[in-house]
Parts: sequence; C-alpha cells; structure tokens
Amino acid sequence: MDAQFVDILRPYLKYAGDQEITDTARLRDLGLDSMREIELLFAIEDTYGIFFPEERMVDRTFETGGTLWKAVQEIRGATQAAAS
Amino acid sequence: MSSGTLTTELPGAGLVPDPAWREAAEAVAAVASEHADQADRDAAFPAAALAEMRRTRLLGLPVPVEHGGWGGGFTELADATIALARADMTTALVFAMHCQQATAVVRHGDPQLLRDLLPTLARGEIYLGSVTTEPGTGGQLLTSESPLQESGGTLVIDRVAPVVTGGRHADAFLVTMRSAGAASPTQVDLVYAARDHLEVEVTGGWDPLGMRATESVPLRLRGAVPATHLIGGPGGFPDIAAGLFGPVAHIGWAAAWLGTAAGALARVIRYVRGQSGPRGLDVSSPLVLSNLAVIRERVDTVHALLRHTLRVVADEETRHGAVSSTSARLLVNTLKTRASEECFAAVNGLVELVGLRHGYLKGSPTGLERAFRDLRSASLNFANDRLRTADGAMALRDVSVRLV
Repeated sequence: MDAQFVDILRPYLKYAGDQEITDTARLRDLGLDSMREIELLFAIEDTYGIFFPEERMVDRTFETGGTLWKAVQEIRGATQAAAS
Repeated sequence: MSSGTLTTELPGAGLVPDPAWREAAEAVAAVASEHADQADRDAAFPAAALAEMRRTRLLGLPVPVEHGGWGGGFTELADATIALARADMTTALVFAMHCQQATAVVRHGDPQLLRDLLPTLARGEIYLGSVTTEPGTGGQLLTSESPLQESGGTLVIDRVAPVVTGGRHADAFLVTMRSAGAASPTQVDLVYAARDHLEVEVTGGWDPLGMRATESVPLRLRGAVPATHLIGGPGGFPDIAAGLFGPVAHIGWAAAWLGTAAGALARVIRYVRGQSGPRGLDVSSPLVLSNLAVIRERVDTVHALLRHTLRVVADEETRHGAVSSTSARLLVNTLKTRASEECFAAVNGLVELVGLRHGYLKGSPTGLERAFRDLRSASLNFANDRLRTADGAMALRDVSVRLV
C-alpha cells in the first residue's frame, strides 16, 4: 500500500487511531462498516478514476488493507490497458 | 392425531403426510392460546406454552435427527412459528428466537460442546435466550463494549444487557462479548453460557405496549464458562451474524408477524361468517369487500416474500455455505422491513374494518386489540430505519441490480 492509499483509508477506520495501517489489518476490526465501506469506495474511485466492477463488490475485497489495495491496483491496470 | 393421518396438499406434490413436529406445534399453539390473554395482562412469560414446547420437544426442532431432534431447517422453523403465531405472537417469537440461537450452536458449536448439549437440547430441556444488545451500542449487533476475559482455559463473562427476551426463564444464553484482547469493539465473540455457570441478576422491569409476555427484562450476567463454549471461534460473531443469525432472525420474525396477521384475519372472518343476524360487517358494501381484499393481499404478499426468501437462502447455503451475496442479503432484510410493515398494516386495516367493539376493545373473540399492540413492535424490533441505512449502502454495491 502506498502512503496516499493509507491516507484515503484512515478517515473511514474509526478505531485505527494513530496506529500503523498494515497490509494485513482487518478493515472491519478497524471500524469499516457497510456505510463507511460505500463512502470509502467512492473516495477510492474518485481518487484513482476507476470503477469497481460488480465481481469485486464482495466481502473478500474489503477484508484487509492489502486485499483492497490489490484490487485497486488490478482495476487500475485493467483500466489503463483498456484505454491504450 | 398422529403423523401420517393428517395430510397437507402441496402444489405439485400431491398429498404428503404432515410432518410430526406440526402436531407438537399445534399442541403448543393450543396451550398458548388458552393462556395468552392472562400472560399479556400480567406482562408475564408464557410459562405454560414453554412447558408444552419442552414436553412436545418442539424446542428441539433445529437439532439434527442423529442427535435426537427433528432436523428442522429454516422452512420448518418458519412453518412452526406461523402455526404458533396464529394463536400468540409472543410464544411464536420466543420459539423463533430460541431456534435462532439453537441453529447457531448446531452449525458453529465446538464438537465437545455439541456432544454434551445437543441431546439435552433435542429433549426440550434447554430454552436458549439471546444476549446481543448492550447499553451504549444503540442496539447495534456487531459491536460490544464488554470484554471477554480469558483465565486458565475459562472465559470470564461480566455483562449487562438492557433487553433479554425471557431472561428470567432461559436455561442458557448465547452472549456476545468483545473478544479477549480485541483492539476494537467490532471484534466480537459469541459465547454459550448455561444459567448454572452464571449469576443472573434482573436489574429492572418490563411494562411495554405490546409483546408484554416476552418479559424482556434487563439483566446483568456474571460467570465463567469453558473455552469450548466459544461459538464460531475467536472474533467469529460478525460472520455468524451476517451469514446465519441475521437471515434466521428475519425469517423467524417475519413468520411470527405473518402468523399473527393471518390468525387475526382468520378470527375476523370466522366471527363474521359465524354470526347470525348483524354480522358486524356489511358484506353488501363494495368498499368493505375491497378493504378486506387489501388486507388479504398484504398477508399473501408477505407469505410470498417469505417463501421466496427461504428458497434464495437455501440456494445461497448450497452455493456458498452461508447467505453471502449482496442481493440475497438485501432480500433477507427486505423480508424483515416489508413483513413488519405489511403485517401491522393488515391488522390495522382489520381494526378499521370491524370497528370499535371488535377491533379496539379487549375481550373480543377477534383478538385484534392484542395483535395490534404486539405487531406495533415489529418495525422497532431491530429498527427498520437502521436496517434500511445498511440496505441503502448495499443497494449501491449491487450495480446491476441482480434480482434473486
């Protein structure tokens, strides 16, 4: 995860406090509920100019910082490949 | 009546024997019906109906056959609950919530716990209560501020709970606790605690508008249980809640509300048709007939939604082992919100239709007054507003609006 991504995540994780947000941090444990998840999704989509396809909209995607970051990178890759 | 002598006609299935548990449910419904008015008046638990649920072993409905139970799934839970609710919504709700707890134990309990527990559960010796609400969490199921302590292989519980249905009468509880050593209140454990492992202190009373006989008193629970009493492993509750607890709760509640509305409608029709002379209803009035039809539509709509949800839940369990797709979770929540509103509206419509004497006064054979008060709780029982907030977020997830 890069620093920008962690900065996007942090406001939606009300129990994260000042602690480091790692790849394996379980987002639900840090306070990501279904409402915050949608807000976070919109923030990520706006920041990176991407759209999460339906098959990514599953609990697995939002399980940890690492799984979400991996999804973002893969969607960005697919978006760029489609544009070129 | 014995199983095999009664038959039910199912569409496309011809005549099939009524399942044996139905006889038990009918016996409980008869006892519940006899005592419901008194229990309602006194805001006292339906002890006679619970005793009959034990005697008939209806409490063992969700326990697998190999452990001595009826092996009932969600459909059987719904059907038994509807049968009870036609007589008394409180008894139905008590039963449905017990089955919710029992199903969670059956599915997610430690093998050692199950060996000891399932035969007694099957024999109807254990009425399971639910302790999932906490002061300060706003009724939010998925957080807990009460930390579980681990000490030498035991789990130490100290917990207050503002609303515990049948709290004075439960033989054991499933209790949500913040996981030992959890960094946040969203890491929640589910723990099985028998009453004899606990000191149970009733800290207040219960004097509500309806659902009076649920006797949902506030409790403080203190005690210690073996580590094998953790249901679904450490931090396991959120997955159980989303995949099982939520769906079975909504199916059970909807069945209780549907049965209540159907029972009320049946009593009104029986009363009107059984009258000689003034019938209480002007059946030559197109408006009266039209209003009656709308009431029936509400009942049939909820029934259709319940049956459809049961099919989708079964399909999800076959495919994923739990209710996991967004569209299925939305449907399960829709069942709760719509059933709560339609069933109340149906009984409210009946009150309007039959008028003051048989709709508003206690003591009418229509029983509308109690059904109305009981059903008023439906939208508040895990508040529709809160559920719809989550549903709105889920609706945004389901981009193509997949209809299941």
